[in-house]
Amino acid sequence: MSTTFLPCGVYHENYKQDHAWWQTKFIKSKMFLLFITLFFIIPWISDSYSLSICNQIGYTILGALGVQLLIGFCGQVTLGHAAFLAVGAYVSTLLVLEFPWPAVFVELGLAYPLSIFIAAIAAGLWCVLFGLPSARVKGFYLILTTMAAQFITVDFIITQYISQIGGRGQAFSLPPGTIKVGPWVIDSDVKVYYMMIVLTIICVVGVVNLLRSRVGRAWVAIRDNDISAEVMGINIIKYKLLAFFVAGFIGGIAGAVWISNLAAISPEHFPWFWSLWLVGVILIGGVGSIHGTIFGSIFMVVVMEALQMAVIPLADTYPKLLMDFLFIKEAAFGLAICGFLIFEPNGLAYRWWQIKNYFNLWPFSY
Amino acid sequence: MNQKKVLFGFYVLLLSVMLVAGFVSSAAAVDKPAAAVAAKPINIGALNDMTGATSDVGRDYALGIAEAIHYVNDTGGINGKMIKLHQFDYGYRVPEALTKYKLFQRLGCVAVLGWGTGDTEALSPTVTKDKMPYISASYSGHLTDPKKTPYNLFFATDYSTNARAAITAWFDKKWPKHMDYGKRKPRFACSYMFASPYCSAPIKAIKDQATILGFDIGPDQDVSLFAIDTKSQVLALKEFKADLVWHGNTTMSVSATLRDAYSLGLGADHIINNWGFDENLPKMAAKAAEGAMGAAVCAFFGENVPGMDKVVAYAKKYNPGIPADKRLIRTIQAWGDVLILREALIRADKAGKLDGESILKLGFETMNNYEIGLGAPPITFTATDHRVAGAVPIYEIKDGKFKLVEKVDLKSRWPEKWAKEWIGW
Repeated sequence: MSTTFLPCGVYHENYKQDHAWWQTKFIKSKMFLLFITLFFIIPWISDSYSLSICNQIGYTILGALGVQLLIGFCGQVTLGHAAFLAVGAYVSTLLVLEFPWPAVFVELGLAYPLSIFIAAIAAGLWCVLFGLPSARVKGFYLILTTMAAQFITVDFIITQYISQIGGRGQAFSLPPGTIKVGPWVIDSDVKVYYMMIVLTIICVVGVVNLLRSRVGRAWVAIRDNDISAEVMGINIIKYKLLAFFVAGFIGGIAGAVWISNLAAISPEHFPWFWSLWLVGVILIGGVGSIHGTIFGSIFMVVVMEALQMAVIPLADTYPKLLMDFLFIKEAAFGLAICGFLIFEPNGLAYRWWQIKNYFNLWPFSY
Repeated sequence: MNQKKVLFGFYVLLLSVMLVAGFVSSAAAVDKPAAAVAAKPINIGALNDMTGATSDVGRDYALGIAEAIHYVNDTGGINGKMIKLHQFDYGYRVPEALTKYKLFQRLGCVAVLGWGTGDTEALSPTVTKDKMPYISASYSGHLTDPKKTPYNLFFATDYSTNARAAITAWFDKKWPKHMDYGKRKPRFACSYMFASPYCSAPIKAIKDQATILGFDIGPDQDVSLFAIDTKSQVLALKEFKADLVWHGNTTMSVSATLRDAYSLGLGADHIINNWGFDENLPKMAAKAAEGAMGAAVCAFFGENVPGMDKVVAYAKKYNPGIPADKRLIRTIQAWGDVLILREALIRADKAGKLDGESILKLGFETMNNYEIGLGAPPITFTATDHRVAGAVPIYEIKDGKFKLVEKVDLKSRWPEKWAKEWIGW
């Protein structure tokens, strides 16, 4: 699906060129424009609300990336990914609030960035723990074990024990100024946006590169047929657990970054519905496609918000529309999934691929 | 194949129309704040829970908010300016609340009528930074200290004050009649959803009060807001031989716990936080609710108090499909929050400033024993204390009706602690 049709006159003479990220000047220009858009135009033209939508998209991409890796590339269905986001968020929060960092770390603003890294490792290892059953079970049985991750992690361990640390009750408060990256205090939507965009790009690039490697090929082989993969000499348990680790690692980053957008954190932030939502994102975006993760996230967040903005003017005539919007939103989510599964099972990524190729081959697209 | 194409085309068209409409209206909304100053309506945001974990009490509150805003507009608005209400159901989801808050800012709202403790506390530093008055249905004690949360306000006594008052009323009125009175300490335990910031907000305060009064405190019981079976928790309370149980959930799960306590013969008395104590409780728990005590922060729906006639009339006018006997104290609570916001807006507007800081300083914090009627206490906000009152009426359910047991005045009884220790938690 990621095949790119090269324009006439562009030849690859070695593997380096063949595996290059951006293979033509045109693509490089497009990427440069994308960079300008992401780093300058969007922050410049957006108000606080639009930036909060962008941040939500970033959070959704980071959350769904792990789900995509597990379901789309390794064939391990997960329905409890919000648990690993929660682990990341809580580990990072606890490290920032409770850990006795040396003064120099705090002054240099290193405490939070380090906490993100530690939180990601913790979430990765936690994810491996719930991935262990994948050595023995698959399909529906694996779904149940991943669902258990949600209930054991969020509803039991975090709610009953982790939340009690410090004696505050259930919510950890993150007063303004707590989250600091280097000299910058992350206290506005635009700062969260920059942090989110940088980490999202790093994670996407990391995952794409992993998928281009021996590890990625092993994952795809396991997804396509685990018995054949084993026959070919792939250690399927090792690679499955590695997939769980990477998925949890990225989920941990998502959770740890998301706390910078919140002023308090409680188990309510990580409901089971969010795990379902992330699966919905990759179904709509396209299973087995990194583009799909991004498109699905944008679709799910932007369309829902646009739908809401479309409802607001109608509310003058039908005031109850605003109050009933949540019903509309949930119904739209369900309908979108049904619609995509029936009419476009390959998701938005496939449409994007078709559109791109249409223009690449134009005017001889037949 | 053709049918597939047509359907796909329709889907794309629908999506495009939706997106265009969304962006057009959002662009229009961006222009609003600048233009919406003069005689244009005053935008107010409202976050309500009609579908989430607290919807058992949230629906009635949401109806009350809309009806009260109609009343304000029908009676002259804010010095002639009408209020435009942007009311959303956020399903008790904190991330949804954060996004909606940003939307309220974009829509040019000058104040927000909020709902749950989780989102209100999560938004608190943001509303402080934005200087946005946030009048919530969460009466968490954490929101009463202006040093930490200056822009969080509500018309009622806070959960911690209510919990302290309820346990004190039981200690004053019920414990002396117990056969073990004078022989041992009374035994006390709490039953609530640990994960919910609303339920856990007054835990520290009520245990502090229990210690002051000399209770033995037993293990907390985790009861979900969605619980319909609580037998294991009730059996644990029975093992502890609790004399008194405080319930921190909303009406639906509290009634489930009361029913199980009754059927398993727990033998303890019950005190209940105000969001679990309403007209539905005796209906749902029947005999099991008899003798349960709780704080009511205002009059129950239809009670004979000043201002109730308007509440009843507006409920009938705007929601005629819901009979009066189905309406709850939640409607009155909604009116309470709207009425203090109206007064604050009127005062700030008279001073010629309708920005957040003026609404707080020239509006709310100038209220001194301001009467809103509806059985609510006279409202006083100062720059150093956002607890509206120190006296809490405690009711008991007798024959399915609410009877006043005692008005516990914590402020007079523990003046030192009230002034110096008990603020903000």
